Amino acid sequence: MDGSAIDPRLTRRDVLRRVAAAGVAAILPALGPEAARAQGTLANLGPEEAVDATLKRLFGSRPIKDGSSVIKLELPLIAENGAVVPVTVEVASPMTAQNHVKSIYIISDKNRRPLNARFNLSPALGQASVGTNLRLGESTDVRAIAELSDGSLLMAKREVKVTVGGCGG
Amino acid sequence: MASEIGRVRIRIPSSIKSGDIVKVRALVIHPMEIIQRKDGKVVDKNYHFIHKVVVTYLGRELAQFETTQSISENPFFSFSFRATEPGPLKITFLDTHGGKYEGTTDIKFS
Amino acid sequence: MTRSRLLGVLWGAAVLGAAAGCAEMDVNPARRGLPPTPWVSRAVPEATGEVKTLPDGKRQAVRYPGWTTADFGRFRTYAYDDARPDPTPTRVPMPSIQGDPKKGRSLFLARSVGPCTGCHLIQGEDVWPAGNVGPDLSTYGDRNLPDQHVFNLVYDSRHIYPRTTMPPWGTVGLLKPEDVVHVVAFLKTQKSPVPPEKSPDRNPETRPKPVGFGDNLDPTNNPAVLRAEAAEAAWSKKGPQGKACADCHAGGPLPAMKGVATRYPKYVKEHRRVMSIEDFLAVHAPATTGTSMLAQSPANLDMSMLVKMASNGMPVAVDLDSPEHRAAYLRGQAGFTRKVGQRNHACADCHTAGGGKGADKFLGGRLLGNVENGLTRHFPTWRTSQSDVWDMRKRMQWCMTPLGMNMLPADAVEYAELELYLTSFDRGKPMDVPGMRH
Repeated sequence: MDGSAIDPRLTRRDVLRRVAAAGVAAILPALGPEAARAQGTLANLGPEEAVDATLKRLFGSRPIKDGSSVIKLELPLIAENGAVVPVTVEVASPMTAQNHVKSIYIISDKNRRPLNARFNLSPALGQASVGTNLRLGESTDVRAIAELSDGSLLMAKREVKVTVGGCGG
Repeated sequence: MASEIGRVRIRIPSSIKSGDIVKVRALVIHPMEIIQRKDGKVVDKNYHFIHKVVVTYLGRELAQFETTQSISENPFFSFSFRATEPGPLKITFLDTHGGKYEGTTDIKFS
Repeated sequence: MTRSRLLGVLWGAAVLGAAAGCAEMDVNPARRGLPPTPWVSRAVPEATGEVKTLPDGKRQAVRYPGWTTADFGRFRTYAYDDARPDPTPTRVPMPSIQGDPKKGRSLFLARSVGPCTGCHLIQGEDVWPAGNVGPDLSTYGDRNLPDQHVFNLVYDSRHIYPRTTMPPWGTVGLLKPEDVVHVVAFLKTQKSPVPPEKSPDRNPETRPKPVGFGDNLDPTNNPAVLRAEAAEAAWSKKGPQGKACADCHAGGPLPAMKGVATRYPKYVKEHRRVMSIEDFLAVHAPATTGTSMLAQSPANLDMSMLVKMASNGMPVAVDLDSPEHRAAYLRGQAGFTRKVGQRNHACADCHTAGGGKGADKFLGGRLLGNVENGLTRHFPTWRTSQSDVWDMRKRMQWCMTPLGMNMLPADAVEYAELELYLTSFDRGKPMDVPGMRH
């Protein structure tokens, strides 16, 4: 069940070849600088920006509708520290070829680079449900934005307060 | 910690039936290097973090996550997928230094 | 750094033979269970509590990376040969300067001083997170108390409450008399009516308690579990003397060690002192296999976790009754209630309940653990804020550092006996290692 480290000297071309061989069904639009494709340098990470700029860059002027009736966004109300904040997002969807969730974006408003991750999904999953642990710089709203197969955008958001000790921490 | 980078652990339910939606939990040991500041300015370097996670099942890609340095150290991911046939579920983690770490678990029906 | 004074000075009575096998019954009862000579630490350099003297005469404490290097040598520690008394309560007249409430509020919120909000709630939406170990001061100004009285309370409240939990800010130099004047001026502004609460989180009385980090034994949740599993390889690895743990402890680490950790910390005759698993590994591993396992090394932490996991689910069963254990328990208890450090706190101040003490209340944003619940059986624990495994000793060393006290070595006898006292409350409860905490 365990994996082990593959030789890190594998070149990027090898990596791309392997991914292509797995048969990527759909080519998703490039995220832009946020998700460094192969490098972690500042140029690839993109600028520090306010969340409004991030949203504009990701979605342009596309309307983002309230998705709280179909998106279950779970986060602690108070995070014991900002280093590890568990989040799960579940979007109610039939996950058919005609009607499925293409991507789930997780965005933390007050982070210097607000986008935490983009989860790109396929109908074969059968359910649009993902989770991870976030790093939050400070107390912030965290949003989950679901992009559906018809291009529409739905959003749910929650406030997370990051706490700290009263003495040394 | 450096010597453990890339250790992967995957967990699936102990009992799976054909057609079930299966919840998968995965963790990989990785520093997910935080952006450093010196004198108020960001230090430019090639930060070491996982930027992509690829999930394949029976050789087909099911999902692909684009991740950033604002995912926690020793990143954890969970997702659900429909188990249609017995066979391998593979999760591959790619980092910004060319590292590639894989874990595979066999889906069996009981 | 070694303690220069022999323990015998404090405990009186002549040292009666250091040779092993000497009859125990003649040992001064207060010294029973203590090694006859000061313990030589087997810890990594950053864990020994060393304080260096620099060429310019300044003193600098050696601690873990990122921890302060400040020397708190002025203040009492847990060391058994540190016979200094409690700092004497002092009282000074209030300086006749104009108090500035704004300055006072800054001081009240300053983490480098207290922060006072660690224990006391005050008004303001920006106050996050305040604690409730001390009384809510949001309407303190309504009381119209004389300035000198409030000044005295903040400067050193022990005149009024001799066993107070509150640090003697002025006496120990954390606040200058001028600072206290500003704090007094600020407290006078805390008057009714209190603005309506916009969020139940702000007030520690209505704040939800922490929910924890989920299943601590799930390797996809707790990275410490993966580290412990790595120690399984170390179990079978031959050390420099050509032997491995497995050579004497057959059957694999988990079967071989089943139940062992439930009895620790315990008095180890061979070394004539109480030892935790971590303390014991630091001497046992090199003695038998030649493998170094210094206290606070990753090798020691990982192997300690593995050994303790072998007892997971089994009830803690430390001995508190035999003479050495009883004496150690009582010394540990004395340590638990001993005021130490610049902030003049005892463990009991935060970790017991009632009478102005902090257990089950918020210190800032952290809920303080109650010693009666048993606080040791999940150690070593993964700490998410540190991305690392901490054992009980590092937790003790950490706790005392912001309190303004120099560390003892991680494997110090004093810490071991304090740990034995703490573990008395875990008795009968199931071991659950590694834990997972902030």
